[in-house]
Amino acid sequence: MAETEFDVVVVGAGAGGGTMARVLSEKGINVALLEAGPMLDPQKDFKTNKWPHDYGHRAAEEGGKAYFGTGQAYGFMTAVSGGWELEGEPYTSAPGTEFAWFRSRVVGGRTNHYGRMSFRFSDLDFKPYSRDGIGWDWPIGYDDIAPWYDRAEEYIGVTGTVEGIRSAPDGKFHEPPPPKVHERLVRAAGKKLGVPFIANRRAVITRALNDRPACHYCGQCGRGCLTASNYSASQVDIFPAMKTGNLSVITDAMVREVEVDEQGLAKGVAYVDKAARAEKRLRGRAVVLAASACETARLMLNSKSKHFPDGIANGSGLVGRYLMDTVGFSLRGTLPALENLPRYDTEGFGGAHLYAPWWLWDRHDRLDFPRGYHIEMGGGFRMPGPNSFGRTARAAGYGAELKRRIRQEYGCGIGLSGRGEMIPNNQSYMDIDPDTVDRWGIPVPRFHFSFSDYEWKQARHMERTFRDLIEAAGGRVLGIGNIAREAQGIAVPGSIIHEVGTARMGDNPGSSVLNRYCQAHEVKNLFVADGASFVSNPDKNPTLTINALSWRTAEYLAEELRKGNV
Amino acid sequence: MSSTQGFVSLDALSRRDALRRIALALTAAGLGQGMDPADAAQVHQQVGEERTLQGQYKIKYFNEHEFRTLERLSELIVPADEGGPSGREGGAPEFIDLLSSQNEELAHVFSGGILWLDNASVERDGARFVECSEQAQTGLLDSLVDAERNETGAETSWDTREYRRFSVFGVKSPSDMRQGLEFFGWSRRLIVDAYYTSPAGIKDLGFLGNSAHTEYTVPREAIDYAFKRSSLRDA
Repeated sequence: MAETEFDVVVVGAGAGGGTMARVLSEKGINVALLEAGPMLDPQKDFKTNKWPHDYGHRAAEEGGKAYFGTGQAYGFMTAVSGGWELEGEPYTSAPGTEFAWFRSRVVGGRTNHYGRMSFRFSDLDFKPYSRDGIGWDWPIGYDDIAPWYDRAEEYIGVTGTVEGIRSAPDGKFHEPPPPKVHERLVRAAGKKLGVPFIANRRAVITRALNDRPACHYCGQCGRGCLTASNYSASQVDIFPAMKTGNLSVITDAMVREVEVDEQGLAKGVAYVDKAARAEKRLRGRAVVLAASACETARLMLNSKSKHFPDGIANGSGLVGRYLMDTVGFSLRGTLPALENLPRYDTEGFGGAHLYAPWWLWDRHDRLDFPRGYHIEMGGGFRMPGPNSFGRTARAAGYGAELKRRIRQEYGCGIGLSGRGEMIPNNQSYMDIDPDTVDRWGIPVPRFHFSFSDYEWKQARHMERTFRDLIEAAGGRVLGIGNIAREAQGIAVPGSIIHEVGTARMGDNPGSSVLNRYCQAHEVKNLFVADGASFVSNPDKNPTLTINALSWRTAEYLAEELRKGNV
Repeated sequence: MSSTQGFVSLDALSRRDALRRIALALTAAGLGQGMDPADAAQVHQQVGEERTLQGQYKIKYFNEHEFRTLERLSELIVPADEGGPSGREGGAPEFIDLLSSQNEELAHVFSGGILWLDNASVERDGARFVECSEQAQTGLLDSLVDAERNETGAETSWDTREYRRFSVFGVKSPSDMRQGLEFFGWSRRLIVDAYYTSPAGIKDLGFLGNSAHTEYTVPREAIDYAFKRSSLRDA
């Protein structure tokens, strides 16, 4: 079969791959974008504006799967296409360790349903080792990436207010919606305790932008947005890029290997066409991996050749190492001040309207853990669904009293979640399981994971802080936010879905995989555009930084192509 | 899955039209503005009108007697009151029937549970549950709630490393009504969910979401209500 030649082959159609494909194709560069799942059809795939009673199963799924924990991850209504387990595509964990790996196989990937929290890393975040001697510094600093944050925010659209907080740099913001009632109570409680809550920074537009209408406040971002008023790589990067005529999107393409030529340069990829169950090849002048940190590392480790017997660009032995997720812990509570609250629409722009950035960044000498976390919040009059009123119904018994109590307590529940920085460590990494292949014959990742005392102590600080906030707001703690996930007192590794760090960047080829432009030290036409390049994993959700870094890498790659260096 | 249990799914085309109207209106309104609230209301009314009741329900899994028992339980567990109709009107029996027709585990819980309920009724009051007086029926449900409270206790501690006051439900002492409690728990769970996800239940709760707004606002009245009831001052 003839091999098509592209300028650039991009693997993975999420935040990193979508940004890369758009920036390059807008410059007239001929791009192939490979996605392991199908094309997204928002009209068909998104459940925007649906009610549970539009379905006989009331969103509990066939046979009531939602009641047995076997339904779709994050619920039937969400735009998830995949989940923690994919049929025929297993992964393993080393004995005694646990790692949960979330994959959404579809154009847009996890950006179709993600939380859209969009926080810039600060100057402190890029140089953690210089501050406390733990972990490693990035080869770049805040000033290197700030212009790319500007571009990413101006294109994507991110809400926020200018606050001048060093640990949470300001950006190019859309006006945020006002805080809801329960958020105001928590903000007032925070004020008493010295925990500042500010307007949330989410990738939602509140004024029209590039043919995208402003948010209409249905609050259903997780279902995917039919008006594209929030960011998704599919609707905001890839669909516009397809209109340039320079982008070929190849779906259901499971990439197996980056192939190299006689000189050890990348010459393209070999992939499995899932529909045909046949191996195919694509050729390109450059290859960009953006398959998500663990899928990218898996692909690199599986790309063995005489030049790279341990996997492509892995002379340092660091591909797959220093895997990080975010430290997660949540508490639920109830605020009696909200009982029988006059009803209003609390859906807003699809997430909390306030959050607390890490507020003790200059007081670590008084804490028993080195890095920080931010606080996310849930609550309000949510759309009823499976198990919405389980606790109240049980407490009330049945009958008239049950109805009265549900009316009274509806909207009183709140949740506080910590999202904290994990320090990279030697025990947390992935390699290739020597005994397991997926249904496409591709060897699968094997995870090894361990939190250190840094993370455990941080989680306990979250626990005390959330208890104090709930009680200062006049409320009562009900329990752990997500018992299935956090029963140990810290979220199961991987379950916050912020996995990064498996091909970190650095100036020294002996201690890093990529250079400061996310270009492989050993293969000058191989780039990485997802979270694999991260040197640390600050308490800022990674997607905005993936967007900014990918944009920066795309401009660098375009220039190198123009100069003939690649 | 298509819905034939009382409420008809919007077909994709009409929903698409409605959403396109929202998108067009918001785009046309331009920077900082949004769609005319009347437009938004019309779109949502239009969506609502397409959701009409359709025909007689055809039972999928249960026999007539079992279904009648579920209807009666739906009236007792979520009764009609000034805020809305009963769980029966909320489509609870149909919901349980559909799920049981698709899930053997639920089918066993409910078939076996209804037999347990009838046996208990015959023992207590000399007749099957649906044939008993309302007083006898609520008497039996009261004894289930009593047993449940005794069995589960109120609030027990959850042992994490630091904080030991979490109020999850834990088993205090076993009950001789175990089988009945399992059935009662599932009945209440599904009846409550069916009711509160039905249009009547949504209205009863006063849920105002799933809407389109040109601008998001929080009513002063709601803010004042909450802060008056707390010791805090709004920042």
